[in-house]
Amino acid sequence: MSSSLADGDDLAGAAPSRGAPLSRGRRAERRFALLAVAPAALLVFGLMLVPIFGALGISFFKTDGVTADFVGLANYVGLLTDPLVGAVLLVNLQFLIAVPLVLVTATLTAVLLYEKVLGWRTFRIVFFIPSVLSTAVIGLMFKSTFAFDGPVNKLVVAAGGMPVSFFSAPTLAIAVIILALVWSGFGYGALIILAGLSAIDREVYEAADLDGAGWWQKLFFITLPQIRRVLLFVSVINVIYTFTSLFGFVYVMTAGGPGYSTTTLDYLIYQKAFSSADMGSGSALAILVFILIGILTVLQALVSREREPNNG
Amino acid sequence: MAEARRAPTRLPPFLILLLVAATTLYPLSFVVANAFRAKAEYLKAPYGWPANWSLNNFVLLIDNYDVIGAATNSVLVIGCALAISLTASTLAAYAIVKLDLPGRRLFGGTFVSVMLVPSQVLIIPVYLLLSSLRLVDTLPGVVLVYAATNIPFGVFFMTAVMRSVPNDIIEAARIDGAGPMRILVSVVVPVLRTSILTLAILAFLAMWNELIFGLILLPSEANNLLTAKMASIGGRFVTNQPLLMAGLLLTSLPPILVLTFLSKYLVSGIAAGMGK
Repeated sequence: MSSSLADGDDLAGAAPSRGAPLSRGRRAERRFALLAVAPAALLVFGLMLVPIFGALGISFFKTDGVTADFVGLANYVGLLTDPLVGAVLLVNLQFLIAVPLVLVTATLTAVLLYEKVLGWRTFRIVFFIPSVLSTAVIGLMFKSTFAFDGPVNKLVVAAGGMPVSFFSAPTLAIAVIILALVWSGFGYGALIILAGLSAIDREVYEAADLDGAGWWQKLFFITLPQIRRVLLFVSVINVIYTFTSLFGFVYVMTAGGPGYSTTTLDYLIYQKAFSSADMGSGSALAILVFILIGILTVLQALVSREREPNNG
Repeated sequence: MAEARRAPTRLPPFLILLLVAATTLYPLSFVVANAFRAKAEYLKAPYGWPANWSLNNFVLLIDNYDVIGAATNSVLVIGCALAISLTASTLAAYAIVKLDLPGRRLFGGTFVSVMLVPSQVLIIPVYLLLSSLRLVDTLPGVVLVYAATNIPFGVFFMTAVMRSVPNDIIEAARIDGAGPMRILVSVVVPVLRTSILTLAILAFLAMWNELIFGLILLPSEANNLLTAKMASIGGRFVTNQPLLMAGLLLTSLPPILVLTFLSKYLVSGIAAGMGK
């Protein structure tokens, strides 16, 4: 998908060979083309490319934004030997529990939507509502719902139990955030899986019907194998989300606590840079997370490249 | 015949989907109900529709937390950033796909390769860069950042749809003597208006829901954007949940309205946005 971006289909098919004098019209078109790409290129260069290399540069300094001392690789060594970073990485890994939950919920929903029951278009939109809301809004909703005097605890008390302090126990706090992640993410996954299902050849099902296959047999022996690459794709993007998109949830729900028990890598970068004014170490951590996400993205690219022959 | 055989399986799927829909909608209806409920009533009975629908929470929110100011900032920033990023993305995609752009592979490849850079990698250097330009805590600074960070996906998306514009109609306009700018405005953009609307919706949602740049680049209260404002005052409201619910309702209303009325364009953009 992405590899085709660079191959333009040049309108002026008979491009003059290199070195041949360009006609006046073609020179004007080239000048216009460069002017047209300039705003996008300058903005991306100035506010994305320069900052990426800037982050790499800053990561070799000890700096609070005002003074800076070159420290070489000390920030990286410090991070890799810091038990806190290891602990925070473990917190991130715990959130991976959300990935299979999203996958199962999204697949179930997509398979049922694919039956085209009454109102499936409306259902599809309803399931997508959480995907258009900000993580801050969703986080605050779940925080209120699971607050000590919130509605969930009112039910617990009404059922004769003791109110639970969800956000002071690490495991429960993580469980609530995972619930928020699944609630907010399954609709998007379901839409992608539904698109994958629509690409399956109908004739396969007709053949299975002739052989007398039941609903569950068709699900496990036809549907799921046919969409396995889409499922892989949804898994990988959700793994990436657990490293890049937890900031909003953590910021509004727990602020990383109790202690550091719900601090994720992206929240730790924010804390280092803007609470403890340790921008060098914050940048080094950002670079490490970037490398991790880069590896996952390459994995995702490989997955979607493998998917192409199937679709085409 | 096949329909008749599938009929028995159609009720259970419907019921399960209804259950999932209820799970999705119930928390939202809880927010709506309590946004209009008095605090005293919430503490006793937070369930069901309020006994008396009251706008008091919204009045309190607007009087004490300058929500109108924050919403105005959001509209201004997102309006400008959307205009810049859509225009720049469309122009760039046009040059890459339809014009004789020198180095088009380099340009195209660069936009794609920065598409998935997470904002936490950018936040420290962007903060330092803007502070050296004295643009921290100014709306134009955030406009530039929002416009720039949405351009890579914008170019990727517009490049994909630009290929669907037939070369014949462009060639015909050229023979009529139209220059490249005129062809873009009066031939290409009208053909692509649905795709541009889809991109506008995706970019609007990304910007409206953005949190980390909004928090860090606009620290003073008067400059807060709505989502960042709700996130930072959310913690202070633990004693007044209905007030918080009113704020959540206001913050989530624009995305929900967009989804309700423009879902056709949004759903068609999901497949193209799979890389996002």
